[in-house]
Amino acid sequence: MYSYLIAQSAPGRLARGTRLLSAWLLLAFCGASFALGDAQTPASGAWEYLQKQFYPGRDIGLLDESYMSLEAPANTPDPAATPLTLRFGDAALGHIRQIRVIIDNNPSPVAATFDVASGARLAEIDLRVRVDRFTSVRAIAETTDGKIEMRSTWVNASGGCSAPPGAAAAGRLGDIRFRPSPDAKSMLISILHPNNSGFQIDPLSGEPIPSHYVAHIRLSSDGRMLLDADTGISLSENPSLRIASDRPLPAPVTVDIVDSKDAHFNASWRGGVATSAASNTTAGAGGTH
Amino acid sequence: MLDRATPLPASVAEFRRIRLRALLLLGLTWASAGGAETALTIREVAPGVFVHLGQQLALDAPGHDDIANIGFIVGTRCVAVIDTGGSVRIGRALRAAIRQRTRLPVCYVVNTHVHVDHVLGNAAFVQDHPSFIGHRALAAAMARSRDFFLQHYAADLDQPPSAAQIIAPDRTVEQSLELDLGERPLSLRAWPTAHTDCDLTVFDDRSGTLWTGDLLFRERLPALDGSASGWLAVIDELARLQVRHAVPGHGPVTEDPGPALQAERAYLRALIEGVHDELAQGGSMQDAIAHVAAAEKLKWLLWDSTHAHNVARVYEQMEWE
Repeated sequence: MYSYLIAQSAPGRLARGTRLLSAWLLLAFCGASFALGDAQTPASGAWEYLQKQFYPGRDIGLLDESYMSLEAPANTPDPAATPLTLRFGDAALGHIRQIRVIIDNNPSPVAATFDVASGARLAEIDLRVRVDRFTSVRAIAETTDGKIEMRSTWVNASGGCSAPPGAAAAGRLGDIRFRPSPDAKSMLISILHPNNSGFQIDPLSGEPIPSHYVAHIRLSSDGRMLLDADTGISLSENPSLRIASDRPLPAPVTVDIVDSKDAHFNASWRGGVATSAASNTTAGAGGTH
Repeated sequence: MLDRATPLPASVAEFRRIRLRALLLLGLTWASAGGAETALTIREVAPGVFVHLGQQLALDAPGHDDIANIGFIVGTRCVAVIDTGGSVRIGRALRAAIRQRTRLPVCYVVNTHVHVDHVLGNAAFVQDHPSFIGHRALAAAMARSRDFFLQHYAADLDQPPSAAQIIAPDRTVEQSLELDLGERPLSLRAWPTAHTDCDLTVFDDRSGTLWTGDLLFRERLPALDGSASGWLAVIDELARLQVRHAVPGHGPVTEDPGPALQAERAYLRALIEGVHDELAQGGSMQDAIAHVAAAEKLKWLLWDSTHAHNVARVYEQMEWE
């Protein structure tokens, strides 16, 4: 809500001591599982821990931006919905097996793990994430020939994990919208879901809001799986995922979602350029509790 | 710095003197602003209508607590304060300015909306026992903001900072409310969601002065925390009002708010149309931030951070319209 406006600017105006203090308060408030040092040090304890967990004994390469890039806006417009853009260059097309997006200083640092289908020519992934406090954000790709490559960026934002829920949008839980680009090489997928982090407080009742998040997104095109993502509380409210290829995505494009309450949602885009494919959407609720 | 085309100071010593003087000036400014009883600079824009113009500074700049236009209106019976500034210190300086001009009691403190630069000075007026007045949605908006204010604006409260210093309204305006300061009726009007969900205007009938709160920004880029389309509708209504003076939330007072409202309208329309086009092409939020309303950039101050926020806000809303 409104607090996002100032949240993005506020940290810069605070004295360093205050900033660290508030970072620690947030840390305590969010019950972060990683004890971290200076909030401004990019190489954080969380990453060292996660590197050992996910990539033990592996060399991590730092190829240049023409292979893979990770972008966040210089002025984060909304700590609870910070847009990230991952791009893959020609050399990477069709050669990426898995991508992890890690937000070091978030209470749940692994924002998403994308398993990419063999041969899928993925040129771009956009997503929006909650950023709890100043942090490194990393994208780590595992290539089809077994190499690990990483790009990272620094995001100046705080308060995204505990930001109060926004005003409810029209529609119902699990609604999915498709917005293809005119050349059909990219698809913007919007998911209506609160994606409650578990660290939010209902501002009126003062009660904590339990976590309720999109846990799994599976994307397929023309019956072939493209992308299979494990996601979590670091995705923004009303999660958004945009993917692009260097070729048109053959219809139907289908999204299958499972949330943390094991509710299932799915919808398909059956072709045609539409600002909203709501009319083509069949939001299923198989297994919805 | 050492650009050959730029004339260098005659000596390093001179350069240092200049720098020292600048630092001293800055220090004096801070020191004078820091005094508890220092009165704010006030202009009487119409008989009995007093305005302090906030500075056009970023939210993270020194002096960020003095960026909003705040002031007061004096009747024969008492005084109404309209917005109190972004710190208890600024609120106290406003109170000192009132005390320089009248001994009449402060009977009302009106907040035009929830934003920190308009409400944190409220605590300075508690000792006057006024009625604190705001939009019907202001109390809830302040409840939502309380923790955020305490976390990020603790330094702008009296120390130690406490939630008790964040003063919510004790009287709210459903649609409209008439107040009387003694031979001085004020008309308060609560608006649908526009700049925020709790925008309130104050009209002083005697001088024909409309206090718009942040429904009108001049010079500084409008910041959107409500609804762009809702704000456009409110702008249309404001443009129909007959006023002799308009006090915007930010920027200079004007006798003709028409052009300023038109500038704001143009920006908000560019936002809506730009985000609509971006979404229609399946563009990402980053695409929208990069492209939308770019032609407006040179018309406004403090563009960078606020514009990205505005685009994100409209994008998130229009994604589900």
